[in-house]
Amino acid sequence: MIEIKEDEAYRKYLQLANFEKDEIPGYLPEWRKASKKLGLTLADMKFATEHWIPENFEVELEGVRKMLRAYTLEVLDLVKANEYKKKGVKIVYGILPASLVFYYALKLEAPDKVYVSFPDAFLTHLLASFFHKVVPFLEEAEQHGIPYGGRHCGLNKMRYAARRSGLIPSPDVSWIWGFVCDEGPKTDEFIREYCDPEWNTVITRIPHDQPYGTREDEIDERVEYLAKQMEDGFKTVQRTIGVEVQEDTINKIIDRRTNYAKKLGKLYKLMTSDPQPLSGNDSVYPADPLMLAYNTFIDTMEDALDTLTDEIEHRVKKREGILPEGAPKLMGFIIPVCNPWLVKMFEKNDVGFPYYEGMVPSEKEMTLPRFKDAYMGAAETWLKWGHGVNIGYKAEVTLEKLQTYEIDGMVFGFMDFDRWLGSDHRLLCKIVEKESDVPTFYIEADAWEDRDYSPEALRTRIDTISEIVKMRKKRK
Amino acid sequence: METLKSLSNYSRTRPETLVDLHKKGVKIIGYTGRFVPEELIYAAGAVPYLICRGGDPEAVDAVLPYMLRFMSPYARQQIGYHLLGLDPLVPVMDLIVAQCTDCHMSRLADLFEHFKLPTLKLGVPPDWKKVFSYDYYFKGLMRLKKNLEKLTGNEITHEKLKESIKSLNKIRGLLRSIDQLRRKKPVIGGYNFIQLNHFSFNCDPSTFIQEAESLFEELKKNGHRSEDAPRILLAGHVVAMGDYVVPRIIEECKGAVASEFLDEGMRFYQWNVKLEGDLMKNLARTYYYDRIPPSIFQPAWHERLAHLEKKTKDYNIDEVVWYQLSFEEVYNMESSVVSKRMKEINMPFLKLESSYDYSREATAPLRTRIESSIESIRAKRR
Repeated sequence: MIEIKEDEAYRKYLQLANFEKDEIPGYLPEWRKASKKLGLTLADMKFATEHWIPENFEVELEGVRKMLRAYTLEVLDLVKANEYKKKGVKIVYGILPASLVFYYALKLEAPDKVYVSFPDAFLTHLLASFFHKVVPFLEEAEQHGIPYGGRHCGLNKMRYAARRSGLIPSPDVSWIWGFVCDEGPKTDEFIREYCDPEWNTVITRIPHDQPYGTREDEIDERVEYLAKQMEDGFKTVQRTIGVEVQEDTINKIIDRRTNYAKKLGKLYKLMTSDPQPLSGNDSVYPADPLMLAYNTFIDTMEDALDTLTDEIEHRVKKREGILPEGAPKLMGFIIPVCNPWLVKMFEKNDVGFPYYEGMVPSEKEMTLPRFKDAYMGAAETWLKWGHGVNIGYKAEVTLEKLQTYEIDGMVFGFMDFDRWLGSDHRLLCKIVEKESDVPTFYIEADAWEDRDYSPEALRTRIDTISEIVKMRKKRK
Repeated sequence: METLKSLSNYSRTRPETLVDLHKKGVKIIGYTGRFVPEELIYAAGAVPYLICRGGDPEAVDAVLPYMLRFMSPYARQQIGYHLLGLDPLVPVMDLIVAQCTDCHMSRLADLFEHFKLPTLKLGVPPDWKKVFSYDYYFKGLMRLKKNLEKLTGNEITHEKLKESIKSLNKIRGLLRSIDQLRRKKPVIGGYNFIQLNHFSFNCDPSTFIQEAESLFEELKKNGHRSEDAPRILLAGHVVAMGDYVVPRIIEECKGAVASEFLDEGMRFYQWNVKLEGDLMKNLARTYYYDRIPPSIFQPAWHERLAHLEKKTKDYNIDEVVWYQLSFEEVYNMESSVVSKRMKEINMPFLKLESSYDYSREATAPLRTRIESSIESIRAKRR
């Protein structure tokens, strides 16, 4: 009897995540088992379905529910990684940010032989965004070798804790990208030395040494070096797991990615409508397949994106929105969706937070690479991305986006744990404000968790920012 | 030790001397880190100055309007005095060669650029086992050579480079010899030995060689420290110029810093640069490959642990004191790895962390921890 009652809460979650009535009985035991491994209790399930998710995500929209489904399916798959490994499937991990083409190419080339995942990101996103319960994993890491006071990245702590607790297996290859921070790749070395000697890593890195303002994608020597790094990494991965990817497969993935990016571009274009038709929180996850490698591939999320775009198109036609017409719009360096209350706090002040700077493409990012070679093309694409280059170029890219999307204010921050991506924000504020009439703000916070930056702690700052942009908008 | 006093005076007035030299037309080249070969700067007829300061929280805080709060105090301090308007030397530097090894030092390089200081970034790929990473660093050195030649108007010939390598090899040899002396008995304290290393960067080579030779003779005859003091190996990132609190307290508590395992601020005197063949390649090889890899290199920790463990045996160490600076995420993780290994080999391990806040309130607990750990070693001996 108790079990049946408990089942209800788990069933309710699956319903919320758009699982069909007839498929729920099949998924229910799997979801209960996965929840247990993730440390999610009955109380967590109730809290998520009755409060946290509906308060922070617009689950009335089918596209949003489908997005939740895509995420849930991916995590259900992730908790089976140990079983895959036992069956001889090759396990390949990656970390954010990475060039995804190669992971998807592996998956497309050998779907049954290879498992790909960015386990830390999927686990953190699911547990933080939808359950507000990421802390137990972080504490597990903090109590065992990655001390709290060091201000380490939640994702790295999650990767370590997930391995330490046995939630995920040792990978055949963890292909780690150190294009931005040092801590990501070094965490892999930590895991290997401290906890799991079988944790096998391939690293791909590039020094941060370009002069201020250099357009790195236009420097052939830079592109060539990065391409060499990518090629070396990918070949090592293929050799290690015994899978040879054909060039045609890479091209297929590039086409698929481009197509997905175009669809996403359509949604983002709709987001420019006034009134703002969709919350920033709900626009983040559809962009995920361009950031994270899904082992379940991108079809489920693509379906969510298509549905969401249709729903928003409909809203825009009817001039419906989530905020009053004329409400100011902010662009964030990121949208801190793992603390979804942050965006909601702005929205409650009638200020929109619809854009994630790293995901909104610049004009250059929408052009095809100069180079035809897959590695050179991937390297060039990477070096067009503002988050991957020197601060001067990054500022140039940000300024362009602020103009294109007619933004009323730029919010840097939320990256207090990242010594690269988060370390230049105060300086960027100064540079961007000097070069434009857009006000910039800095919010020191942690995108992955809110232990140190609670709603109470940040409310005054957010209220103040909101007042400033509203007053400025009125003056215009 | 009169020699140390004399070197200390020389070192203290070095900025003034360099400003005067600059006025006379000599090029002053500031540089950060262990991957910028001074040999090249001397061979170009310029004067190098290692930017490696520490120990002052005000200089660290001066960087806050431009940088994340959770960055290394060491990296922040290197430009802090300039931002406070207290740095006589940085504004007159003709070039700052900024080593880009990790995020902290690379952001420091960005700040040098932002404040319009003449900056040349030297990329140091951390994935050092790859041939093309070495090539990248080598190309960086060739670029540095070209820049120095252009700046000074002097060609760096094979002969000039050979002379400067010889001179720096001599310095390394002297430090090696002094280090060998303390291997047997603590003839010089760690505080003084670290300072001696710093002086070696702050003196012109001929002066330092002369003084260090005399110090070596003096130590051979009159090494005077207590031989039963617990022998400490000081490990971690850096004891910067001016950040002497920890080694000083260790010695005030009657411990002897018998050896160091630090990534920056020390000369890597165990490794001379070869004088035969292609000297540029020799420099690159020694600076990038041969020396103990810094913590940021990958993979490095396994190899570093082996070196550290060997040092504990070679120097008959009683305790490893790990000294790191706040928010240095890589060292923070490595400390756990080292701590685990030390436990396995039954070697006492003490981790200390500083943000250069050496107020009385902050220093007292530090002293208590050091004091009690040294006392417990003594107790074990009894």
